[in-house]
Amino acid sequence: MRENVKQTREGSVKSEPDTTVGESDAASLLIGVYFLHTAGDGSSSFDLGCVAKYAARLPGVSLVRTLPSTTALDPEKLAREIRKEMLNTIVLASEQPGFFKPAFSRALTLAGGDGGQVRLASFGELGSISTDRAKAVVASAVEGVPFDSTPAKAKSGFSTATLVIGGGVAGIQAALEIAESGHKVYIVERTGTIGGRMAMFDKTFPTLDCAACILTPKMVAVGQSANIELLVMSEVEDVSGSVGAFKVKVLKHATRVDASACVACGDCAHFCPVTTSSEFDMGIATHKGIFIPFPQAVPNTYMIDEAHCTWVLSDGKKCGACAKKCTKGAVHLDAKDETVELEVGNIIVATGYDTLDPRRIERYGYGTYPNVLTSLEFERLTNASGPTGGKIVLKTKKLNKKTKTDEWVFEPDGPKPKAVAIVHCVGSRDQNYNSYCSRVCCMYSLKFAHLVREKLPEAKCYEYYIDMRAFGKGYEEFYERIREEGVFLVRGRSEAVVEHNSQLYVRGADIVADKLIETPVDMVLLSVGLQPSHGSVELAEKLCIPRDADGWFQEFNYNAEPNSTGRDGIFLAGVCQGPKDIPDTVAQASAAAASALRSIVGAKSDKERGNIPLAPVDEKAGSPARS
Amino acid sequence: MAVRANPDLIEELEHFGAHDAMKCYQCGNCTAACSHAEDASTYPRRSIHYLQMGLEKPLRSTLDPWLCYYCGKCSEQCPRGAEPGETMMGIRRWLTAEYDFTGIARRLYRSWTTELAAVLALALLTGIGFFAFGFLRGGGNLSVYDGPGAFLPAHSVHIFDWTMGITLAILLNYNCVRMWQFTMRNENALPVRPGLYLRHLLLLPEHFFTQKRLRACENKTPWVTHMVLMFSYLTMLALIMLFLKDMQSGPQVNWYVHFFGYLSAIGLVTTSILAIRGRIKKTEPYQQHSHESDWMFLGLLLFVSVTGVVQHVAHRLGMPMTANIVYVIHLMGVVPMLVLEVPFSKWSHLAYRPLAIYFSALQQAARAEGAVSLGEPSKPQPAA
Repeated sequence: MRENVKQTREGSVKSEPDTTVGESDAASLLIGVYFLHTAGDGSSSFDLGCVAKYAARLPGVSLVRTLPSTTALDPEKLAREIRKEMLNTIVLASEQPGFFKPAFSRALTLAGGDGGQVRLASFGELGSISTDRAKAVVASAVEGVPFDSTPAKAKSGFSTATLVIGGGVAGIQAALEIAESGHKVYIVERTGTIGGRMAMFDKTFPTLDCAACILTPKMVAVGQSANIELLVMSEVEDVSGSVGAFKVKVLKHATRVDASACVACGDCAHFCPVTTSSEFDMGIATHKGIFIPFPQAVPNTYMIDEAHCTWVLSDGKKCGACAKKCTKGAVHLDAKDETVELEVGNIIVATGYDTLDPRRIERYGYGTYPNVLTSLEFERLTNASGPTGGKIVLKTKKLNKKTKTDEWVFEPDGPKPKAVAIVHCVGSRDQNYNSYCSRVCCMYSLKFAHLVREKLPEAKCYEYYIDMRAFGKGYEEFYERIREEGVFLVRGRSEAVVEHNSQLYVRGADIVADKLIETPVDMVLLSVGLQPSHGSVELAEKLCIPRDADGWFQEFNYNAEPNSTGRDGIFLAGVCQGPKDIPDTVAQASAAAASALRSIVGAKSDKERGNIPLAPVDEKAGSPARS
Repeated sequence: MAVRANPDLIEELEHFGAHDAMKCYQCGNCTAACSHAEDASTYPRRSIHYLQMGLEKPLRSTLDPWLCYYCGKCSEQCPRGAEPGETMMGIRRWLTAEYDFTGIARRLYRSWTTELAAVLALALLTGIGFFAFGFLRGGGNLSVYDGPGAFLPAHSVHIFDWTMGITLAILLNYNCVRMWQFTMRNENALPVRPGLYLRHLLLLPEHFFTQKRLRACENKTPWVTHMVLMFSYLTMLALIMLFLKDMQSGPQVNWYVHFFGYLSAIGLVTTSILAIRGRIKKTEPYQQHSHESDWMFLGLLLFVSVTGVVQHVAHRLGMPMTANIVYVIHLMGVVPMLVLEVPFSKWSHLAYRPLAIYFSALQQAARAEGAVSLGEPSKPQPAA
């Protein structure tokens, strides 16, 4: 790096990089160092005489002069001195050396030299809190090396490991960036698998790529990376310390299955008598009491659902079938939660989002009418790994034999909806709920319309929107495309979902036609807005980072540092900083990784440069000129 | 024809209480939430749109604001806090000022100091007038309340009441004519043949007395209180205009007059106190915002009701001098209240609301007739 700098500075003079900064330099350069100091103001915090002596011993320096800054500088007089000493380079060391530069440039030119060869050693800019510091500033000017590029002493005890909180696409991306550059990463993930929300999606907008095809390879890469340690079913309990030396306590909930032994054969689940609703499938499908969130989960390991497992609920008195049936002996039902202590240098927060609970807006009838779904429920329904294998069907009434009650469930051969309404801005842009725009709903709603029309060409599809926000690359084209696919776009917010004679109606105003409309539909998809993921308040307290008025983590500077927090060493990635789509999330995650890497790779990015090692320069200077 | 926009309209309406209309982003939730809105009148959104765009003429010629009864459901659900209900209220105040040819209504609504000054001036004038009349032409004896030689003889007050009543009715009727011109005689309104006017005429008394559109709102309480207030007021009006002599009678009591008098007094005092309390506590959505004119109206109403009761009690207790003084004070409230409120302010809605229902029914009828004469557009036949 140093060589590069020299090359660019002296590229016209020397073409080959010199690894031994030495004789050739000293031979060609005759440097005069001029100290211009304000005498007697008492402000200088270093010993000028000592620095001057030090400068005189630096290679190439043939003249050191100390002038009061009040001296009237006569270029003619200076030129005579320069000519006499045959100087070709001048170093000006002062609080504000730039002020004196013109006079010295002129003098150099008058003396027949290159007027551009005036180097500045600015104490005002680079600081001179100690004599050593001042020496370093002068030495770097004499050497012709930008001060910021001088080697700084590696800080002791700066941990190069990084903690990523949240294993969604943002966390995965950030972790991979850092791990692939050769540094240790811990991912703390609350659920049983990484992948986050994106793993639930069927398609991505606007390209209609298969979400899993993009995400799964990244998830596998995380699972296989030697530098990444994955802590699933884990939560950050406590954070102390500061950048370079954070101490993090992580609570690891017992999965009760040995991840190294489990081969995900599924025998345990086959024999498990418990069935409960799947969190990953947003409750529209079920899994067993011992389960794997989804087939491509990373780590690909079964785990116990503690809230429903008979063995756990009966304190080990009943069942235990899974442990008995496991041929690998991987199930340890009596495993306990443990607390892990990590020491990391940087933390990347990528906690993502939850969706608004539409039960709060009663008039949309979510929870009352079985076929009013949230967007994430529809993602699971239309996903090939969902309960119907990706078929869009209506819920059917089914008797639950255990509870003897009727339940509305999705069956692969259920009736197909003839009309689907998609309601935008549910709880978004609404001061009674979330006043901000959730930014992704317009586009995913259009994507839903496409999926409905693609899978059920006979079905009518209505979009009730207020404003269509197609702001990203390719989004407008996507909007046009969906329009042409024959989707009814109703400009006007729908007010309510009502039922007459077991037929659902969406009631709303078509403000373009200035009409009130009630559309009979079979299924209603509520495009619920995004809000900070639960536990964000506690996490913000643990990390001592601020949140904004809407509850998202507050970036340090909206434009310039959108992935930094107010705290050194803690960075933000993805939706936890504010709603954004997948490309923006991935981009921000990479940026957060870059920020973390900056502090790992160059401890010199550190602004505090009190302790620049002078040894290499001292060596060249011939003697250790310590005061 | 292009409509000329008035960019100052929104600022003008702010004086009338429509403060938040610019927050509206035209989602239409208010219209869909309204139990009254229908295809022909998709308020409040449409009126707010006129307001935002400065479309003064369409706003002046719309009947929509009078069809809204401000239950407040739209304001509750409004995602932007644009207060559509209150905006409609503000537009009603503005329309009252627009209909009024004298320009007094506008001055009263735009400046509460003007309104207060007008009330005080009228009160003072009334007080001086009645005292002067009592001393010069009446019995001149403050301690005689009823019978011959009364300080304020019933028949003289009676003549005064009728004169004032007729004057106010003429003013209000002229404003109604202007309302008709704005709403029924603009280029967008369909021409209505006289026969239709006749056929639907009964709508006026029907809606005036039943207020059944207000009852159609989800919250029934406003309808109950409004009906009590209105019937109390009408009863009292009838008593004063027709049976003043009986009310001001001596020891011999005409009990059926008193019975109705008591009923309506109770109704007036209770409802005005309830309304004031509601506006202070801001319990209902329609009580969240109060224009100065609302306070003035309710204050006058309570003042008039209470002084009327005190006057009666003093009379019954045999304190004629107190009764006479309170009588004049009572009139000092009655005159400003009626003179300012009926043709120029809030009370004019007693005419405008039934008229608006009537006019919109006429428009609908005219549209139906037009549709018949034009015939259904023939459906394109599928090619064979």
